[in-house]
Amino acid sequence: MKIKSNPSDSMAQCLKWLDDPVTPPPSIEAEELTRTFGRFVADDHLSFTVAAGETYGILGPNGAGKTTLIRMLTTPLPTTSGRARVQGHDVVTERAAVRAAIGTVSQAVTTDENLTVHENLSVQGKMYGMWGRSLSNRIERRLKEVGLWERRGQVARELSGGMRRRLEIARGVLHSPQVLFLDEPTAGLDPQSRRAIWRMLEEMTQADAALSIVLTTHAMDEADHLCDRVAILDLGRILCEGAPETLKRGLATGERVEVRTDREITARDREAILALGAVNWRSADPESAEFEARPGEGIGRRAAELLEARGYRVRHLTISPVTLEDVFFSYTGHALREA
Amino acid sequence: MNPVIRARGVRLAVLGIAAICQRAYVTLWRQPVLIISTMLFPIVYLLILGNALNRQLRAIPLAVVDESGNALAAECVRGAMALESGRDLLRITPVADRDEALRGLRRGRFRAVWVLPFGLSRQGPTPSFIGDNTDRFSFDTVEAALRDVWDAASAGTGSGRVEPAVRLEAYPYLDYLTYLAPAVVCLAIFMGSMVSGGLQVIEDRMYGYHEGYLVTPISTGTLVAGHIIAGALVAMLAGDVVLVAVLVVTPVPVAGAAAVGACLVTVFLTSLAIAAVWFLLFARARRASVLRGMFGIINALLFFPSGALYPVESYPKWLRAISDVDPLTYGLRALRDVLLRGANPSADYAPWVFLLTFALVCGILTRVLFKREV
Repeated sequence: MKIKSNPSDSMAQCLKWLDDPVTPPPSIEAEELTRTFGRFVADDHLSFTVAAGETYGILGPNGAGKTTLIRMLTTPLPTTSGRARVQGHDVVTERAAVRAAIGTVSQAVTTDENLTVHENLSVQGKMYGMWGRSLSNRIERRLKEVGLWERRGQVARELSGGMRRRLEIARGVLHSPQVLFLDEPTAGLDPQSRRAIWRMLEEMTQADAALSIVLTTHAMDEADHLCDRVAILDLGRILCEGAPETLKRGLATGERVEVRTDREITARDREAILALGAVNWRSADPESAEFEARPGEGIGRRAAELLEARGYRVRHLTISPVTLEDVFFSYTGHALREA
Repeated sequence: MNPVIRARGVRLAVLGIAAICQRAYVTLWRQPVLIISTMLFPIVYLLILGNALNRQLRAIPLAVVDESGNALAAECVRGAMALESGRDLLRITPVADRDEALRGLRRGRFRAVWVLPFGLSRQGPTPSFIGDNTDRFSFDTVEAALRDVWDAASAGTGSGRVEPAVRLEAYPYLDYLTYLAPAVVCLAIFMGSMVSGGLQVIEDRMYGYHEGYLVTPISTGTLVAGHIIAGALVAMLAGDVVLVAVLVVTPVPVAGAAAVGACLVTVFLTSLAIAAVWFLLFARARRASVLRGMFGIINALLFFPSGALYPVESYPKWLRAISDVDPLTYGLRALRDVLLRGANPSADYAPWVFLLTFALVCGILTRVLFKREV
């Protein structure tokens, strides 16, 4: 059953925020947001808040419910139950107001390949009520920001994948939205293009302190680099939420150890290493092991010494700090998903 | 108020429609194959079909078996030879034996055999016509021509010659090519509306482009109206280009600026109605395969019942029922009135009202059916 918004809700929210002018109202508030497709529950009672000016990452394996969540928040997909507000507007009852406040860069390429770079933005601008010189000026500004001004006359299908993504982002922010939704914005791009888009997004958030960004991604380094806070979503539920550093600290292990030997590590030797304090043991093949350990106790080095003392030849040893990816795996596991 | 949104309400709707139309036109011009299919195909259709069906039958091989040899038979043979030397309808071969002539018919040497039996007279026996009825058109034409020859010959030998009935043509002579001209304008409209407008939405859904505009602040009504108008404008462009082409290719009389204006209005309203019905039919479709699968059926349901190729008066009741609600029927009628009959543009008011009403009803139904969802 859908929870209908009271028409006076927006006004009440505004009055509440007027009483407290120091704390800006949140850009997004989701309460028990749920979406089902038949018996399949894509998103299951999700509740979270995104503050104004915050970059919020939604991480999760394929089929976790990220894109469904974005589609509900950006209005093309109705909610099954629960409620969500974007810039104070209900995503079910005040769709037009939500659409006016947001910009989206979806997972699919949505710029028209037959239109030029400039024409794509011109068409989009008109759909946001812009026209004439102000639209032209805005297009010029955005294209210069994303480094495509020189290619404004080029047909979109002739652009590289990275350029096409930058065009998508320019289109998403053309009308200066208050909330920008980015659904896997760097998927399939080379490292240079990814870095260029990261820089672009950082410049945008620096230029507009009130701009909130909601970002879904599979790339943990991207979320670590860009997001103020992240939520890890799996099977339609938020498993954890917080700043990347906080989540990494919360893992109780500070080091990740990868070791490769010349032969199969026996169960007895594995138990000996675990007795040193290693946790989250996993191995891609019998000759190698990957585990986590508390920092500063030298568990990785001691494990390598133990193996050599027992006749192994250690071919490879890596000791590194835990990453967001470790956090991700610790919550979602290593099993492949059906989706 | 969001300072970025410059326009709201009607102005936002107008800008939204303008954006959709801009995209449709640019897309059309960037894809030459669409221009070829929408504009060149109807002209080729006109030239091929018009000329193929326009020609008079010529040199049909006919065996004449004169068993009688009397004066009436000689008069009949002279009449048949006149058809050969005049209209070039026949190639006459005199054959002495009836069986030999029939063998020639079955072997394909002759398309018909005309037997003038022994004792031929007005009271009987009369001529026998045996023809190859696998080609009904040739059969009927030759049979009718020889019946005329017999009627003339038999009347001439009687007490008094029968005067032919008075026959007047209300309009200047039109060949089939000219008769077909308004139909190919409608065909261009049909093709033009197929590659744009509502059908663009299916393609957008297939490629994911629709996610780009479903999240913009323009209303669903504007989206529907925009796609219908965009489709109508593309179809109108195709229709107008083909209209100019048929005016050049065929001897259609142009009765001044008012007639041209009436044609342009008819083309636009027909385009609007066809674009609207396309969008209505595919309002819920999500795959291009639906379009590909349905195209032939819709073509058959809209184009052929309109009277484009044959008069609707020849249709059975059920087909007339389809014809009566087919917008192409009304567009075609209005174009034929103005182009072929030289009618005053006011004669088109009734078809125009139907087309506009049809487009509005389809638009409203589409707005109800169309889901703004991914």
